[in-house]
Amino acid sequence: MKFLQEIASFFTFSEPNVQVVFWGSLILCSISGLVGTFTLLRKRSLIGDVISHSVLPGIALAFIIGQKKDLVFLIIGATITGWISTYLVDYITKHSKIKNDTAIALILSVFFGIGILLLTNIQHTDNASQSGLDQFIFGRASAMNSSDIWLFSVVGVIITALIIVFFRGFSLLSFDENFSESIGFPNEILKLLLSITTVITVAMGVQAVGVVLMSALLITPAAAARFWTNSIIRLAILAVIFSGVSGVLGSAISYTYNGMPTGPWIVVTVTIVALASAFAGSKSGLLRKYLQQKRNNTKILRENTIKLFYGLNTSDSHTKRFSFHRIWEESKMQKATLRKGLKLLGRNGLVDFSNGLYETTDEGTKEARAIVRKHRLWELYIARYMHLQPDHVHDDAEGIEHVITPEIERELEKELDFPKLDPHNSEIPY
Amino acid sequence: MITPSVETHNLTVIYDKKPAIWNIDFTLPVGKIIGVMGPNGSGKSTLLKAIMGIVEPNIGYTKLFDQDLDKVRNRISYVPQRQSVDWDFPASVWDVVAMGRFATKGLFKRLDSNDKTIIQDSLEKVKMGSFAKRQISQLSGGQQQRVFLARALAQQADLYLMDEPFVGVDAATEQAIITLLKSMRDEGKTLLVVHHDLHTAQDYFEHMVLLNSRLVAVGPTDKVFNKETLTETYGGTLTTLSKVANLLKEKDFPMRHK
Repeated sequence: MKFLQEIASFFTFSEPNVQVVFWGSLILCSISGLVGTFTLLRKRSLIGDVISHSVLPGIALAFIIGQKKDLVFLIIGATITGWISTYLVDYITKHSKIKNDTAIALILSVFFGIGILLLTNIQHTDNASQSGLDQFIFGRASAMNSSDIWLFSVVGVIITALIIVFFRGFSLLSFDENFSESIGFPNEILKLLLSITTVITVAMGVQAVGVVLMSALLITPAAAARFWTNSIIRLAILAVIFSGVSGVLGSAISYTYNGMPTGPWIVVTVTIVALASAFAGSKSGLLRKYLQQKRNNTKILRENTIKLFYGLNTSDSHTKRFSFHRIWEESKMQKATLRKGLKLLGRNGLVDFSNGLYETTDEGTKEARAIVRKHRLWELYIARYMHLQPDHVHDDAEGIEHVITPEIERELEKELDFPKLDPHNSEIPY
Repeated sequence: MITPSVETHNLTVIYDKKPAIWNIDFTLPVGKIIGVMGPNGSGKSTLLKAIMGIVEPNIGYTKLFDQDLDKVRNRISYVPQRQSVDWDFPASVWDVVAMGRFATKGLFKRLDSNDKTIIQDSLEKVKMGSFAKRQISQLSGGQQQRVFLARALAQQADLYLMDEPFVGVDAATEQAIITLLKSMRDEGKTLLVVHHDLHTAQDYFEHMVLLNSRLVAVGPTDKVFNKETLTETYGGTLTTLSKVANLLKEKDFPMRHK
């Protein structure tokens, strides 16, 4: 509880610097979620990793040239080397035998290596203002000050406006580059705009998140959002929300516990969001799949149980009421499963239970006939079109009968011309 | 003389230092369904992309309706291979067909009610009228192809360049597509269709381009679709020609020098 209280105290903005950290991480992370949406859709996730590692030599060089830690200056340096790295990856892929993944690995490690080298060198000089430069590796949100926020806001507004204005172009470029070219959209300009916005976003973000983890912040929000929606606009909006929230929470934790780097905490938070999305997401989340499985199993149990009554009603002409034991004899089910099935039918109003005997209601009789009809239609259908012997069709129909929709049933009836008998010469009940 | 639909002059595209298509020179009529036939790797798709300016020809040029591509771009529609895009992309059928209207609307102009009518009509024409809201990831191969055709229809072009529209579609879709192409032809449209099934070629196309990185034959189907031209098209590459092509690559020679 102490942990939560301390985090909560961050949001009361009691310390003056807290506001700066709050707005700074909110703005940075939101932009990176927005820009990252297109990085993800264009399948350039690894390029994000290249850029974020390659901004490090730019930061170091900018410091060596300027001899001071001026953020604008550092960002310009970062943008230049970041951009050169993406250009090099694309150039190598296009003009040499080296494949894209190799080019990515190559450029990433070379640029990062040079960055570390330069940084180590700087730390060995006695320039006092170099202290804190190493925070760019893992990020430190509390290092932001209020003039940084102004810079982030202005650049953030420009990038957001750019993406809104060119949304159509960026979307089409991501989906179908050739078609985009064919209708005369300026593909090269669109690509350039996207790569420049990505590089600038990364360059701004590394102070808070760090070069090592910046690419996670670019890709993970959009990847998490993908579990919730199939619309590109909603995808972008959700990615912004996810990354904004994770950014603020991550910085709050790192701010509260002095000495914790911000980047890892933001990434941990956004990863939790992604995992939760993978579990509960409405489009392809595991929870949805699990519930779907459960619904399917219920449907199968219900239909398999009610089907038993069709057999019983047909064979035992003298009565419509059956004991549990009689039903169990007719079935191949475990007693427990059958009991569950009968209970389900009772709840659904398909059977009545009185004096220890079960009887189908009108609705139940109808459903029993329907499921047997589907079963036999399918047997006939596969016997005819898969050229199967009558004794080979039953098992298939046992599974398929549950999935046949009324539309498919009508198609089957039409296709088979309303047959009277199934392959085993049993009557098909209509 | 009637303006030709497509005219290529010594069109040559070099991939990785080797010519993918070499000196393609032909003139095609308007108002016909024209097949582009040839074995795998014979440059059929490259030809279409070069005509559409998606790949820049290294040598030669193309005229469309006697004009440069940029002057007549909105009269041309390009249908890429279905497999060239990721169908898991977050978009609905409607979103994809709406892209056809971007050809006239450009990057910024909003789609109006007229555009929406055109989009819905295009969907009806490929019998996908009730699928507008469907996610494209849920479509079958045949349905994906129909969506691509609907997008092309929404462009309301005069010349359609279609890359393998019959690949991986069911028989019903194949029939629906060819019926649609014929009705488009009857409206005076020109259709240039990359295809590789020799059995159906004669029934589908009135005019043909036979390709094997070089032009083997071009003309009305009854004149060019015969044993000799087919042997030349499909009977392997010309040994000397491919030797020269390999030499160009190995020695890094330019194809033309100034």
